[in-house]
Amino acid sequence: MNPAGAPALVPTRAPIRRRPLGRTIGHVGLALTVAFAGLALGAGYWQVLRSPDLSRAPDNPAVIAAARNVVRGAIVDRDGKVLAANKRDKNGEPYRTYADRAFSTVVGYASRQYGTAGLERSWNAELTGVSNGNAIGDVLRKFQTDRYDPQKLTLGITSALQDAAVKGLGSDRGAVVMIDPTTGEILALASTPTYDASAIAAPDPDTEDAGFAAVRDNKAQPLLTRATQGQYVPGSVFKIVTAIAGLGSGRITPTTTYPEQPKAENDGLLVQGFRVHEHPGVPARSFDLVTATEWSSNIWYALTGLRTGGDNLASFAGRMGFGAPIPFDLPTQPSQVTNPGGGGPGGFSDQVELANASYGQAETLVTPLQMALVACTVANDGTLMKPHLVIATTGRDGTRRIQPAELGRVIGPEEANAIAAAMQGAVESSIGRQFTTGAKVAGIPTAGKSGTAELGGSGAPHSWFIGFAPVDHPQVAIAVIVEQGGRGGARAAPLAGDLMTLFFKLAKP
Amino acid sequence: MTAAASTLPAIFGSIRPRPRWRETKLLAVVAATILVGSVSLELTRHVADPGEATGLHPANPLHLAVYLGLLGITHLVLILSGRRMDQILLPTVAMLGGISLLLMERLPQTLVVQTVGPWRLGLGDVQLTWLILSFVLATTLAVTVRNDRWLRLYKYTWAAAGVALLLATFVLGDEVNGQRLSLTLGPISGQPSELLKVILVVFLAGYLSEFRPLLVEESTKVGPISLPPLPFVVPMVAMWAIALGIVVVQRDLGAALLFFTVFLALLYVATGRPGYVAVGIVLFLVGAFVMYQLFDTVRVRVDIWVDPFRTPAGTGYQIIQSLYAFARGGLLGTGLGAGLPTINGNLPIPEVHTDFPLAALGEELGLVGVMAILGLFLVVVERGLRIAASAADDFRAILAAGLSLVIGTQAFIIAAGNLKLIPLTGITLPFISYGGSSLLVNGIIVGLLLALSDRGVEPPPPPRRPGRLARLAGRGRPSAAAASVPAREGRP
Repeated sequence: MNPAGAPALVPTRAPIRRRPLGRTIGHVGLALTVAFAGLALGAGYWQVLRSPDLSRAPDNPAVIAAARNVVRGAIVDRDGKVLAANKRDKNGEPYRTYADRAFSTVVGYASRQYGTAGLERSWNAELTGVSNGNAIGDVLRKFQTDRYDPQKLTLGITSALQDAAVKGLGSDRGAVVMIDPTTGEILALASTPTYDASAIAAPDPDTEDAGFAAVRDNKAQPLLTRATQGQYVPGSVFKIVTAIAGLGSGRITPTTTYPEQPKAENDGLLVQGFRVHEHPGVPARSFDLVTATEWSSNIWYALTGLRTGGDNLASFAGRMGFGAPIPFDLPTQPSQVTNPGGGGPGGFSDQVELANASYGQAETLVTPLQMALVACTVANDGTLMKPHLVIATTGRDGTRRIQPAELGRVIGPEEANAIAAAMQGAVESSIGRQFTTGAKVAGIPTAGKSGTAELGGSGAPHSWFIGFAPVDHPQVAIAVIVEQGGRGGARAAPLAGDLMTLFFKLAKP
Repeated sequence: MTAAASTLPAIFGSIRPRPRWRETKLLAVVAATILVGSVSLELTRHVADPGEATGLHPANPLHLAVYLGLLGITHLVLILSGRRMDQILLPTVAMLGGISLLLMERLPQTLVVQTVGPWRLGLGDVQLTWLILSFVLATTLAVTVRNDRWLRLYKYTWAAAGVALLLATFVLGDEVNGQRLSLTLGPISGQPSELLKVILVVFLAGYLSEFRPLLVEESTKVGPISLPPLPFVVPMVAMWAIALGIVVVQRDLGAALLFFTVFLALLYVATGRPGYVAVGIVLFLVGAFVMYQLFDTVRVRVDIWVDPFRTPAGTGYQIIQSLYAFARGGLLGTGLGAGLPTINGNLPIPEVHTDFPLAALGEELGLVGVMAILGLFLVVVERGLRIAASAADDFRAILAAGLSLVIGTQAFIIAAGNLKLIPLTGITLPFISYGGSSLLVNGIIVGLLLALSDRGVEPPPPPRRPGRLARLAGRGRPSAAAASVPAREGRP
């Protein structure tokens, strides 16, 4: 820009002009106005967009203050039976009592010393009445004298079903999840062992301490809600996930057969130098979807998994909630088809792992709630509904029902019906019955799949069952796991049959 | 209006009272609003569940009466002065002061206790006292300041006084929480950085208006980069160094940010050269980065800002509580007096009366209230800038712009800090926060702005001969435009 040869420092000369300052002052004013508009947006972000979740945060002073002084809303079951009620101590301060130990892993506790757990924690804001979950209602409430409007929570669980599930699990550790597949309403959510929530919420500190210590020191970890947080090897119940991925991706049809299967039934299926073996007693034949499911053929499902591919398997599992915590009223552990970090498609480390995962071994880990959602998907024509425990909240302004919501469409109705037919065969055919003894609900078409999850050590396998009924218009889907309960047909299948039978008995008085 | 004015009798010899109807109407609106707020506060007090400690203190109806009386007297004095001053500034500031009074009345009075003779003064009493003094100061300046020579001629004296004040604070200041912000001289204690911001603006107005022609037209090229003329890079760097010095010496991030922002804004106003602002921002970023590396105070502030929820019970506590307060307020707020449940008798937000008044108001008045308060600040700035744009000469223009930008920028910095838009720095929300220094200095600003807005003050003196620096540079001859500023008629 400088003339050639000019020194580096050249003052450039221009005629001296003086302009009035109005223009630049205007610019500065505009800049400040924009900055203030930013402030208004920031205030809007915190006061409108983030207001609902920040107002409900457990350490928000308003929530803490409410928890001390407010009589919490009751928690009742589907029939209105009170599960969590309030009493007053000698100082007149309220405390919680819980009616049924079978619900402790669901309802949790609200203790003065030990905070909250379960629904008492996740629905704390509604139970204390800081929020009633309705934005307009929250605004209008500010004009009322009593700002707290504790909400009564109604659960979709029936006490009789929940009690029977806990009783059926007995002294075993395990979990039962029953869901209405058309709405996602939880009908029973049992985890054993349970604990005494009333003791932890007791008004006198000694009982409180003893109650909490008993739970904390119990090696069986009763505070771990197994139904939503227990991670288990699924075994053969996972084959339904493989079927969903195979049919959903179009890689197989219900009539797909594998010519190499008969030989593999005898010698094992060779995958990259590793042999996948069948469980004993399966004939050396070619199967299709129905017969493979009736026989619970590891070879057919391993071949299906290999043909479907790891990416499809992981992706269809992901549509049902695998890989992330399931949005739910209680904390949930994510389920996984494989360990994170594998290099192959879908995260599997190699074809051997994929083949083993396809029938539910390898690195696959699932929660009972996740497997119940798999059953729900098949039962509800391939569309998964969002599971929820609380079906209604009741406050001063009346009752607000929580509407069913879709989590997403996993597969089409035709694929779902094909799998349902296979699962019906697994429960009702002469071959299937051998593995699912007792799962059939008398007089009602029943579908299901048992699982026997080998744990690798010397201990007994986990006993699994998932299923639903009636096959045509399902009203209940179920997942049962009994830790180290033996074969699927030994503990889980009969318990599922009993609970579904009880469900239909209760539904038709 | 002129006709109405001529009907009023002359008093004090030549001074004719001049009605200020717009101000009268606006002040009536302000008075009504404060009354409604006060009634609302009182209703909450009586209706609130007694079992729930809201920390409400019984109101002192006398305070409200005194404040409204103060507004009336101020208004009357301005009318009697007969000067043609801005009529919107005072009501806007009166509204902000009224909101402040309502808030301080509503907070636990024990937050501030001062004993004066036989009286024990609580938060509301002390704040009202400062508000009175602030308004008296503003009115006095507005009525009595008739020429600006004392500001204009002694800019280097003012600058020296400012630096001296800074040094005095450093040497003699009281150290609180690792910050040296306040200075105690005998019975008087104050925060010099509040006064420093006015001195800064006065100096900058003098300096920039004198050297404006040079700054606008000249540049030094170092290779492809166009810089301001070298002699004038020095004050810019000096400002930058002073801002950093305030951070290093006083650990006062808010004041440093305020000074530097106002400096850059005025530099732009005077020169219209965005390049200077760009260089300034680069300098700021470099300084900020070095500060972040060197000083724990700065690093902690920035880390809290990035993720306060990592230390919810520790350093992040204040800002999280502030955000919770905003969130509790929602769209319409809980209502005056209905926010901030105390926990074990403590307020959830420490320093709510000085650093977080906006969070408290956001909770009780909601998003609507926050927008209204932000709007009031914008009105103050807009009036100030309007006064600047119609000022008789560059000095007055830059002075008025600087004074109003101090208010606007300070409000922005603390509001943005409360809202976690920028790292939180402990400065006051003008006119609303509790604090004597802040209210008095803001009173000075309002007084000067009112005086500058008078369309009848004495004409500015003819431009001086160029300063020594300008003569050294061999340019900067007074231009014809500056000399021919029309002398305006004071009174009809």
